[in-house]
Amino acid sequence: MLKTLVEKEIREIIGSPKFTYTFIVCLVLILLSFYSGAVSYKDNVTHWEAAKAENLQSFEGIKEWYRVQENRIFLPPQPLATLVSGVSNDIGRTSNIEPSGEVTADDSRYNEEPAYAYFRFIDLEFIFLVVLALFAIMLGYDAICGEKEKGTLKLCLSNAIPRTKFLMGKFIGAFSVLSISLIISIGLGCLLLPLLGVHLSSEEWIRLGLIVVAGLLYFGLFLAMSVMVSSFTQRTATSFLILLIIWISSTLILPRVAVMVSGRAVDVPTVDELGYQKAMYATEQWKSFLNSLDNYTPIENEDMEEVMANFNKFMDSISIAREERMNIYRSRLNEQRYNKELERSQIAFALARISPSSSLSLASSTLAGTSPELKDQFYQQAKNYQTSLKEFLNEKTGMNMGGGFIMTISESDAPEKDPIDPTEIPQFKFEPESLSKSVQKALPDFGLLILFNCIFIAGAFVSFNRYDAR
Amino acid sequence: MNENNKQVILEAVNLTKKYDDGVLALDNLNFAIYENEIFAMLGGNGAGKTTTINIFLNLLEPTSGDAKVCGVSSHIEPLVVKKNLAYVSENVMLYPNFTALQNLDFFSQLGGQDSLTKDHYQEVLIRVGLAEQVHNNKLKGFSKGMRQKCGIAIAILKDTKAILFDEPTSGLDPKAGYEFIQLLNDLKGEGKAVLMSTHDIFRAKEAADTIAIMNDGKFLMKEKASTLFDKDLESLYMQYMAGHAPQPASEGV
Repeated sequence: MLKTLVEKEIREIIGSPKFTYTFIVCLVLILLSFYSGAVSYKDNVTHWEAAKAENLQSFEGIKEWYRVQENRIFLPPQPLATLVSGVSNDIGRTSNIEPSGEVTADDSRYNEEPAYAYFRFIDLEFIFLVVLALFAIMLGYDAICGEKEKGTLKLCLSNAIPRTKFLMGKFIGAFSVLSISLIISIGLGCLLLPLLGVHLSSEEWIRLGLIVVAGLLYFGLFLAMSVMVSSFTQRTATSFLILLIIWISSTLILPRVAVMVSGRAVDVPTVDELGYQKAMYATEQWKSFLNSLDNYTPIENEDMEEVMANFNKFMDSISIAREERMNIYRSRLNEQRYNKELERSQIAFALARISPSSSLSLASSTLAGTSPELKDQFYQQAKNYQTSLKEFLNEKTGMNMGGGFIMTISESDAPEKDPIDPTEIPQFKFEPESLSKSVQKALPDFGLLILFNCIFIAGAFVSFNRYDAR
Repeated sequence: MNENNKQVILEAVNLTKKYDDGVLALDNLNFAIYENEIFAMLGGNGAGKTTTINIFLNLLEPTSGDAKVCGVSSHIEPLVVKKNLAYVSENVMLYPNFTALQNLDFFSQLGGQDSLTKDHYQEVLIRVGLAEQVHNNKLKGFSKGMRQKCGIAIAILKDTKAILFDEPTSGLDPKAGYEFIQLLNDLKGEGKAVLMSTHDIFRAKEAADTIAIMNDGKFLMKEKASTLFDKDLESLYMQYMAGHAPQPASEGV
């Protein structure tokens, strides 16, 4: 019986023009997203490699290690970011790392190409969030009330079929058709990737597979919701209107409202406010540093090297103390801001998860490695890199790099020094989050998507069992 | 068993339906339809004819009383009842993007007839008067009469003891109406019990064994068609509907 109902549903959907249009649009959009994603990824890799080479070139000709005041590091392009861009285009991708001082990232893609920021990319996540949800609505809005309007519901229910089975047939049929179409489209898209020179690792394939599973859960959820709404409305127009309102609220309004509410709930000082406080403190410290210099009395010695060594030792002592105070102050301010920001984000994400669209976004971006945490991961790894760079330069120079003044003596008759070898500078290697950790983080959102599915399926059964099928 | 040792197939026992808005759609209705019998309910809009059919189909719960098919209550065991019941609506609507054969295949399987073949479907479609060349055409191009024939074919294929017809001749041309009556008589000959709601006095008199005139959820009159043979049913109907009943109803009112 269920098989008959599912077969009929599949046959009816496949035979309808709306499925043909839906499938074509779905296929074109998915192929387009894979194509543009792959091309964009290759461009990003080219730019990333060129930027790294250019950075190394900037050290050419330098003969003293203490002249290496900074090194530029770059967030490598992630292949999956081309399919689920998440925040990857919003956050800074490069950072000038100095041996001391604050680590900041800049040069976000949207900063460089504002047109993209305005219209955004068509990626797989966008297709799932907007297009797929709309297709689910188109397939499900008339599942029950449409049968009633057509006049076939009464005839179907005049047979000995339980209503739950009838509904299940509708749901399974529609879900099978759309998910098979989706898998075919994504499968073709996946074939495009190696053809365009993008090779995913086995771990990235697993991540992509899980993203597709999240997309299917999201699609199932909207389908179940559409069937539920069609089970308590008598007219297809009413059902479609209700679902459109839910779709707009879910994808466009609720996540934004959540961010607005959290912004009101927790006041986070701006980067400029913090910058001002840090600058004030730095000025204060600098004055104190200069005052300390007044207390320095050079030793009386004819050996200039000893004089220099004594001066550098003194400089180290006061600069290290100043640097420590600055670091403590900056860390405290940054931590306070970070905690506030975290609190605000947690409120925003908790509220946004009322909308399944947010759960899908968070799950897929976590799996693609482009979740909002990418910014923290890059920042943290850049901080770690700063420490290793400082240690390296201190070792090379024998001085506390980035502390204060460095006094050198150049002797005209000194032998010509060889240029430094820039490849000796520690390389920055970004380590993406491990798969198991990403899956662990995405699990709550998968749970929510499954929960929403169960709620809407149960809702559909309850309302259809009470549905006036006359 | 009664009425010449025939089995009661469809039975309404004190059937009452009051809607939530207070409208009394059926008022203590009683009737029994035997095998080989065609029972016609005549009445205007809102008389309660479709409500009666809907209760048999378990699309409505009775407020009190019972609607039984082969002795089984429709609201207690609806799935058992529906196995013995076929239904043809006033305006048969099937899946427009399916062909006649595909529609028959789907509804037959839904009705529990899993072993039927294309030959069976074609045979029945020809029997109801649908030419072979349209069997593979999609329903969206079918006229109301052609869809009606498909609906009847579905009911025949389900092979139940009872068939419910809701306004079956409404909108049919005279030829189609005549063919329908022939078919109804065939079904009766096969032992089916037929409950038919209709406005069509002429067809009712032509086909039915028992005719009931219904208004405000009650039978104003219920007579064997044989006893009405020499009466002008149309004027009788008009008199009842106008509230000038010539005689109190003979039974079950």
